[in-house]
Amino acid sequence: MLGLDSLPPSVLYEDMDGGGFTYIRRLIEEGQKWLMRTCHPPITVPAWMVMFTGKTPGELGIYGFRHRRPGEFDYYIVNSSFIKTPTLWDDAGKKGLKVGVYGVPPTYPPRLVHGFMVTDFTTPGPDKPYTFPPWLRRELESRTGPTVFDIVYRSHDKDRVARDLFHMLENHLRQVEYLATRKQWDLFVYVEISVDRAHHAFWKYFDKNHPRYEYHPMYSSVIPKVYKRIDEWFEKLHRRLPKDTIIVVASDHGVKPMKGAFTINQWLIEQGYLKLKEDTTTLKPGTDLRRDLIDWEHTIAWAWGGYYSRVFINLKGREKQGAVDPKYYEETLRQLKRDLERIRGPNGERWDNKAYTPQELYPEVRGDAPDLMVYLDDLWWRPAGTIGWQTNYLPENDRGPDDAVHDWLGVLAVYDLEDTLPKGFMGEIRAEKVKEFIEQLIYQ
Amino acid sequence: MVHKDMTEKVSIEIKRDLYDKAKKFIEEQGGFSSVEELVEFLLEEVLSSEESEERGLSKEDEEKVKERLRALGYI
Ligand SMILES: [Zn+2]
Repeated sequence: MLGLDSLPPSVLYEDMDGGGFTYIRRLIEEGQKWLMRTCHPPITVPAWMVMFTGKTPGELGIYGFRHRRPGEFDYYIVNSSFIKTPTLWDDAGKKGLKVGVYGVPPTYPPRLVHGFMVTDFTTPGPDKPYTFPPWLRRELESRTGPTVFDIVYRSHDKDRVARDLFHMLENHLRQVEYLATRKQWDLFVYVEISVDRAHHAFWKYFDKNHPRYEYHPMYSSVIPKVYKRIDEWFEKLHRRLPKDTIIVVASDHGVKPMKGAFTINQWLIEQGYLKLKEDTTTLKPGTDLRRDLIDWEHTIAWAWGGYYSRVFINLKGREKQGAVDPKYYEETLRQLKRDLERIRGPNGERWDNKAYTPQELYPEVRGDAPDLMVYLDDLWWRPAGTIGWQTNYLPENDRGPDDAVHDWLGVLAVYDLEDTLPKGFMGEIRAEKVKEFIEQLIYQ
Repeated sequence: MVHKDMTEKVSIEIKRDLYDKAKKFIEEQGGFSSVEELVEFLLEEVLSSEESEERGLSKEDEEKVKERLRALGYI
């Protein structure tokens, strides 16, 4: 299974790959194509784990990378120990299959698997024990060089970003090739994060529909080159695999141009939901909302930014300085939802905003869920949590360069030489059904 | 002080050729006094991180990851 983080259907199924995926596209033309409808929220963590456990984010209790314990202001980051449900590879191992897992977020710290595992970009660093079995790390490094987990977006040095990106991609391809050809496995799951990083850093140089599309002799070729490199590598590897190997190509969500960022906490201040101790005009643009900046006694709600926004109610009895009486909780939520959904664009245009309580989205709500989950203009606008800006509408991200936002549809395509599957376009499959789907392929 | 459960033994079955390989290794190389001891050692090694209370990240490591996720725009 080749996981290409954030690959949209337009790239794999239509002609938007810039000529990159020649081989893979030819393969899946002979196979099955699905649109993979991602989870709420449409983010890498939890999306891949929803696909690999068959559980919704609510059941997993994972609503993004960061979470907040009730009553606290600071956040913690999830890691593999938060996944309490057996994954595709755990169950496959139990059935006696040997498994290989590479780069699936979040798998750090690595767990005991019936095979081998190399963790993902949430690994703190290459000096950490990031493999199972533990001694695989030395073997891998001696054959393929030090492991690269991620790149850093340097806002004004795109050349450097591109160099780092290809360096990381080559590192991963070398490692996966080594593992896939030297180790025994029945099921190999590989997620490549470089695709997502390329999209976020170079999408406006690639997608002609981007509102700030710009042709650049070098940057415009980065994304197609990433695709092409993966495609060529995969073709070579595929020829070395047993003929009856079933190939699955999948992504965790799609991607589309970012129209801008909306300062959600500034909006909450304007609407009277959030009160600061000091005058906001004295703050530097891009200031993080801190606990000590907030006048808690007069604050009803505050929010986090990201690809989606999480809103928290300052609920009495739950928060340290809660101000909203529990008997007004439901009413406050309803009011906030209504107001959030009415937010309009910079020119007064209507936005397709959605604000959900987790209970509306999931059969079960575990872990540290927010009070509201908010999408602005169907994800086209990114919620920015920082404050101190002159306007609520930022043409760019509040944190570093970001040309893209996530989208609801990813891909799931299957190629099986034995040809037992119906071919062609099959419609939509939901993220939490992917595990079951792959199990049917394996155990058919 | 050793808890009673920790000294109680159970039997498990493993493949003959694997057992023979392990036995040969111990006879030639030493290091362990029996296949049983080798198997127990390896299991303990592999399971030690799984059963530790603080499975997960140290504060310092978590900060590193937070910093990276922030730079990537996830948070
Ligand atoms: Zn992703």
